[in-house]
Amino acid sequence: MKQVDSRPMQMTRRQLLLGGGVLAGSLSLGASLTGCGGAAQAAGNDIRFWHLLSGGDGIKMMAMIDKANADHPDFRIKPTVLAWGTPYYTKLAMASAGGRPPEVAVMHAARVPGYAPGGLLDAWDLDLLAEFGVRPEDFGSRIWEKSQFNGQVFSLALDSHPFVMLYNTEVADKAGVLGSDGRLADISSPSQFLEVSRELQRVTGKHGLSYGYLGDGAQMWRLFYTLYRQHGADFILEPGRPAQVDRDVAIDCLEFITSLLDNTISTKSGDGGTAIAEFASQGSGLLFTGVWELPTMKTAGVPFGASTIPTLFGTPAAFADSHSFVLPHQATLDESRRRGVYQFVASMLKNSLSWAEAGHIPAYQPVVNSPEYAALKPQADYAHAADIINYDPVAWFTGSGSDFQGYFAENVQNVFLGRDKAADGWDAFMKRINTVLAMPNPV
Amino acid sequence: MSTARTTAPAKTSAPAAKSAPAATSPRSRRDNIHGWAFSAPFLVFFLLFLVWPMISGAIMSLTGKSLTGANSGIIGLANYAEAFADADMWRSLGNTLYFTLISTVPLVVIALALAALVNMGLPAQWLWRLSFFSPFLLASTVVSLFFAWMYNPELGLFNDLLAKVGIPPVAWLNDPAVAMWAVVIATVWWTIGFNFLLYLAALQNIPQQHYEAASLDGAGGWRQFFSISLPQLGPTTVMIVILQILASLKVFDQIYQMTEGGPGGATRSIVQYIFEAGFTGYRLGYSAAISYIFFGLILLIALAQVFATRKRSA
Repeated sequence: MKQVDSRPMQMTRRQLLLGGGVLAGSLSLGASLTGCGGAAQAAGNDIRFWHLLSGGDGIKMMAMIDKANADHPDFRIKPTVLAWGTPYYTKLAMASAGGRPPEVAVMHAARVPGYAPGGLLDAWDLDLLAEFGVRPEDFGSRIWEKSQFNGQVFSLALDSHPFVMLYNTEVADKAGVLGSDGRLADISSPSQFLEVSRELQRVTGKHGLSYGYLGDGAQMWRLFYTLYRQHGADFILEPGRPAQVDRDVAIDCLEFITSLLDNTISTKSGDGGTAIAEFASQGSGLLFTGVWELPTMKTAGVPFGASTIPTLFGTPAAFADSHSFVLPHQATLDESRRRGVYQFVASMLKNSLSWAEAGHIPAYQPVVNSPEYAALKPQADYAHAADIINYDPVAWFTGSGSDFQGYFAENVQNVFLGRDKAADGWDAFMKRINTVLAMPNPV
Repeated sequence: MSTARTTAPAKTSAPAAKSAPAATSPRSRRDNIHGWAFSAPFLVFFLLFLVWPMISGAIMSLTGKSLTGANSGIIGLANYAEAFADADMWRSLGNTLYFTLISTVPLVVIALALAALVNMGLPAQWLWRLSFFSPFLLASTVVSLFFAWMYNPELGLFNDLLAKVGIPPVAWLNDPAVAMWAVVIATVWWTIGFNFLLYLAALQNIPQQHYEAASLDGAGGWRQFFSISLPQLGPTTVMIVILQILASLKVFDQIYQMTEGGPGGATRSIVQYIFEAGFTGYRLGYSAAISYIFFGLILLIALAQVFATRKRSA
C-alpha cells in the first residue's frame, strides 16, 4: 500500500508517457464511440431532414430548403442527402430503429407500408397541420388515399411522379402523327402504337421509341404496371396468401413490351442512360420515362412534348409514386422541433411550384390549380395524370427501390431480351413473390 | 513422429518459464501492467468490435429479430433450418464459389506471368510496375463505373472492338452465361497488382547465383523458370492462393455495383444475400444465420488449407 501511495510523488518519465498514452487511447476511444452522436447532435432550432434527391432534383430541393430557412428564422433545416434506393431506405430504417432518426424525412409513399406498421414512423396530426394551413382537401383523392395507413396519415406527398411518354415534336411532325393542336395524336390500341412507332422510326432512321430497362427493375416494373393497370386488372398482395393477380393479362403485357423491343421500334439491349441519350440526340421519336427527366431534355434543347402513356388497353392508368414527408419515430419527442417540422412541410407544399419545374406534379392542389402552373409547359399537359396514377401493390416489400422491383427484374429481364417465354418469366416471378408472402412479416 | 518432435521442446520450456523467479518479481509485474496498458486500446476495440459482434451475431441467429426493432425472441435453429432449405441461399453460395474458382486461377497465374515478365529485366521497369499495380489503388466504385461503361451493350468499348473484328455484340452484364466472367475480368484487372507485387518481391529474392550456375550447365530460360523460380516461389504461391481465396469469397462491392446480383440472380454473391436478407428483407436473425453458415464454410476451407500445407511441409 505504501509503495502505491508513494508512486505519484516519484513519477518517472516512462510512467508519465505511459499514463499519457493510456489517457490518449481512452480519449480517442471515447471520442470515436460518441462521434456519431456528437456530429448528429443538433442545435436548439436545428431540424434534421433526410432526403434522397440528387442531380437536378437535389438542386431544386436545396433551393426550396434555403427559401424555407429564409422565410422561417425560428428554425433551421439541415438536410442530409443519401443515395436513393436501398442505401437510403436501410439507413432510414436503422436510424429509426436505433431511436435517433432525423426529425423529418422524404420517403416514397409506396414504401410507407414497410415502415409504418413497425412503429418506425409517427402519424401526422391533422389538427396541427391545419394550423399551418394544410388540409386533406388540398390533395388529390388518389394521393390522399395513399397517405394513409390503418386509418392514420403517415405521409404527406410533395408530388406525384408518374411514368410518362415524351415525344419529339419535330420527328412526330415529319412522321405525320401530330394532331392539329401540335400535340401527339391520340393512340388507343396496341397495334396503333406499333404503327406510330414504326412511322417515327422511318423518320429517325434509328428507333421509333427509346426505352431503357437493362439491369433496372424499376424501369421494367413501371412500364409493365402501367399497362397491367390499363387492363383494369388487380394486383393484391396479402401476407399469408398467394398473390391475387390476373395471369393472362400479365403475360399479355409482357408479350406486348417484348414486341416493342424488336431492335426497330426500340433496341432490345438498352439501359436507362442509353435511352435518354438516344432521345436527347433525336435518335428516336418517343421516350418512356419518369417526369423527372424533363429538365434533362430541356437542357438538351430537344423540341418535345409530354403526355401520359397512351391508353392502349381501355383503362387510363399510369404507374407513379410520390415523394412524401414522413416523421421518423423519435424516442424522445421535442415538441418545439416537431412544430417546426409542420411549419417547414407546410411551407414546402405551398411553394411546390418550383418543385413542378423539375417535372413532378405537385400534390398540393392550390398550386396545381394556379395560373402559374397552367403556364408551365409541358408539365401542365400531363397534370391530369394525378387522377390516373397507380402506386405499387401494398405490401411491406413493395415500392420504389424495393426488393419487389428487384424480383421483377430477376425474372422478367430475360423475357424482354427474348430468351425466356413470357409465361415462364411471369410464373417464376409469382413463385418468388408467393415465397415472400408466405414468410412471417418482419415489420 | 514429427508432431512429437515439435511438442517436445514446448514441454521442457513450460516448467522453465514457470520456475523463472522473474515472473513474480515486482518489476516483472509492473512490466506486465504496462504491457496490458499499452495493449488496452487495441484490446478494447478487439473485444468491442470483433469478439462481441461475433457473440451477438451468433445469439441473433437464434432469434427472429427484425431490422425494424421488433424481436420475436429465441426461435432456436429455425433460421438455420430455413437457410439450409433456401434455394436462393445455395445459389448465392454456388455463385460465390464459382467466382472464387474462376477469379483465383487467373489472379495467381497472370500475376506470376506479369511478375516474371517484369523480372526479366525489361527496360523502364518502373513503368511496368506502376501500370500493373496502379489499378489496385482505385476504389471499387470507380472500377465498377469504368467497366459498366465499357460493357455497355450499345455504347461500350468492348462491343465496339468486337464489332471491328466482326463479332456480334455481347450483353456483358445482362447475359447470365457471361455476367460472372465480365465481373471476373474487371476484378482481375483491378486487383492483380497486389499478387503481382508479392510475386515480384519473391522473384527478386531468389539468389542470382542459382540462375548463373544453371546457365553454366546449359539450362535455358524456360528450364530456369520451371526448375528454379517456380519451386522457390512455392511458399509465396501458397500464401497468395490462401489470401486470394479468402478475398474472393468475400466478393460484394464490384458485383453489387455492376450487376446488383443480376441478371436473374446469376451473379448474386452470398455476402449480397446476407445483406439483402438483413437490410432490405429486415430479417436480421435470418441474415445472421446465413452469415454463420458462410463462416462455417470459410472455416472448413481454411482448415483444409492448413491441413494441406502442413502435410506438404512435413
